[in-house]
Amino acid sequence: MDVSGILEEHKGRFQPVQVERLIPVEHDLGCLASFDINMLDDAALRADAGVRETYLQGLSREGTQLLVNELFTLPTVVDEDSVYAALPKRSLVLPREKPVPKEKPMTRWEKFAKIKGIQKRKRGAMVFDEAQGEWRPRFGFKGVNNDGQQPWLLEVPQSADPYQDQYQVRREEKKERIEKNQRRHQRNAEESAGKDIGLTPHKMRKRDLQSALVLSKGSTASMGRFDAELKGEPRVKGLRKKRSPLVGAAGVEKSKSLEILGRVAKGDSSATVLNVRKAQRAINSSKRRDAAGGGAATGSKRKGSGKR
Amino acid sequence: MLQKPKAKNARSKRFLVNREPKVVENAKSAIIVRGSSTSQVILDTLKDLYALRKPNAVNFTKKNEIHPFDDETGVEFFSRKNDCSLFAVGMHSKKRPHNLILGRTFNYQLLDMIEMGVEKCATMKDIGAQSCAIGARPLMIFNGESFAQDEKMILLKNLLLDFFRGEEADRLSLKGLEYVITVTTGPPGPNGEPGLVFLRTYTVDLKKSGVRQPRVELALMGPSLDLRIRRIRFPADDMWKQAIRVPKEIKETKVKNISRDGLGDKYGRVHMGKQDISKLQTRKVKALRKRLDSRPAKRPKTE
Repeated sequence: MDVSGILEEHKGRFQPVQVERLIPVEHDLGCLASFDINMLDDAALRADAGVRETYLQGLSREGTQLLVNELFTLPTVVDEDSVYAALPKRSLVLPREKPVPKEKPMTRWEKFAKIKGIQKRKRGAMVFDEAQGEWRPRFGFKGVNNDGQQPWLLEVPQSADPYQDQYQVRREEKKERIEKNQRRHQRNAEESAGKDIGLTPHKMRKRDLQSALVLSKGSTASMGRFDAELKGEPRVKGLRKKRSPLVGAAGVEKSKSLEILGRVAKGDSSATVLNVRKAQRAINSSKRRDAAGGGAATGSKRKGSGKR
Repeated sequence: MLQKPKAKNARSKRFLVNREPKVVENAKSAIIVRGSSTSQVILDTLKDLYALRKPNAVNFTKKNEIHPFDDETGVEFFSRKNDCSLFAVGMHSKKRPHNLILGRTFNYQLLDMIEMGVEKCATMKDIGAQSCAIGARPLMIFNGESFAQDEKMILLKNLLLDFFRGEEADRLSLKGLEYVITVTTGPPGPNGEPGLVFLRTYTVDLKKSGVRQPRVELALMGPSLDLRIRRIRFPADDMWKQAIRVPKEIKETKVKNISRDGLGDKYGRVHMGKQDISKLQTRKVKALRKRLDSRPAKRPKTE
């Protein structure tokens, strides 16, 4: 039986979905894109708007047809009322918005557990409370652990003072446990903060203390001149500048100037006369200051409060 | 520079945590900014870009004294303030008429940007066709050899894909193919200057074709932009390297000894350990059979 006639007729009812391309078109289905590097019709693109638009639309139709053909050959998933194509991973490299998140430093317990090979066990959040006959959370609001009444009957230990309030003891113990945990939390936070800059918590505390000390020195009217000196106090530059008297010391001034002149004239070690690095920094900073001063008007306008 | 804010309550803490770097990132948002002076062409362009980017976009309706190529602090500030890593800035001047700048930031620092002149803009409103649903993902098609060869065009391709791709998903509703953005490079000018870039947006109509794949028909939707590339800022190498890093958690682990060829056939490679020949089972002959007792056989006495 010859069915070619029937097939032809069936085909004739629809428009074709095939598209011819000299160089095969590259697809990146992960980001629904395709890249066609075939030669374009330059004459049509240079022509007037009407011809160009027709050409562009035809070109786009063919490109879209190829991409849609690819998309419709992907494996599909039927979910609820729609048909989904399972997309592959995108192969094109696109930049992230923000850097890859940093790894959190391990706490002391995590380090210990890793060495010992202790694994986290999943425990249900709800516990069945037999006395009440209902499920209650293990911790937190209405939790079984913070009732304060359970168990309501406490035995006085043999060694304990019989007049001691055992309920009070229990409350205090719990408070202590919480405080201890908070101290450890604090310690872990300090250790992880110091890890980035390579300092132990002790060193960090010392540094903070010293900077506070320096600040306090400059806070008195005499710039700390009459403060009692502490043991191991950091030396602060520029706080106590000793100035030569304005009058009556002409000889000192003269000898100082001569000394500088002598060094310049000698010119043996340039580093002692001119610190090149320092000078460069001074020039740069003054330049920057000038630049910031020039653009100040526009700068302040730009950073107006939430202006859009 | 904005100081890192500190959360005062749980709600603001959640908000701040949401802004922190993530392993799997959310869709990028864009800010649409108008410069201190703009033309109608630029305003129309920005409006349509905003329409295509919605809902992941913030539209600035007031003028801003902003020139990203001269001073990037402005866009970086806006990027941080709005938590957006894409930006489109439109401006108009005698020197650079109908100027459109598209760019990206990484970690609130300018990554790259491209400045283009809009030579022609037919908006969605001009064309008056039906527009796409908000947040629909477009198909993107790039025509022209230069998208694979020219450094500038490769960057433009990357930037446009990043700008329009929307929220990435591992599946796609086949009914949801709504519109297509095609970008075609025009022929270079007589003096070798780079040609126009034609950006066209069409709605997609899928018709029955008698086979599994539907017949595609397009209708112009807008915006239709004729763009001419002006200045370009390429990403700094080290910053780009940082930006394309893949977190350990989602990096695909390489499966050893399994490969696939171009036809999709799967090949496995099996590594054998060294064979222990002493335990090899050979032919069973009575003479070679081990004795039950391992003692050596008694020698007959010689006397």
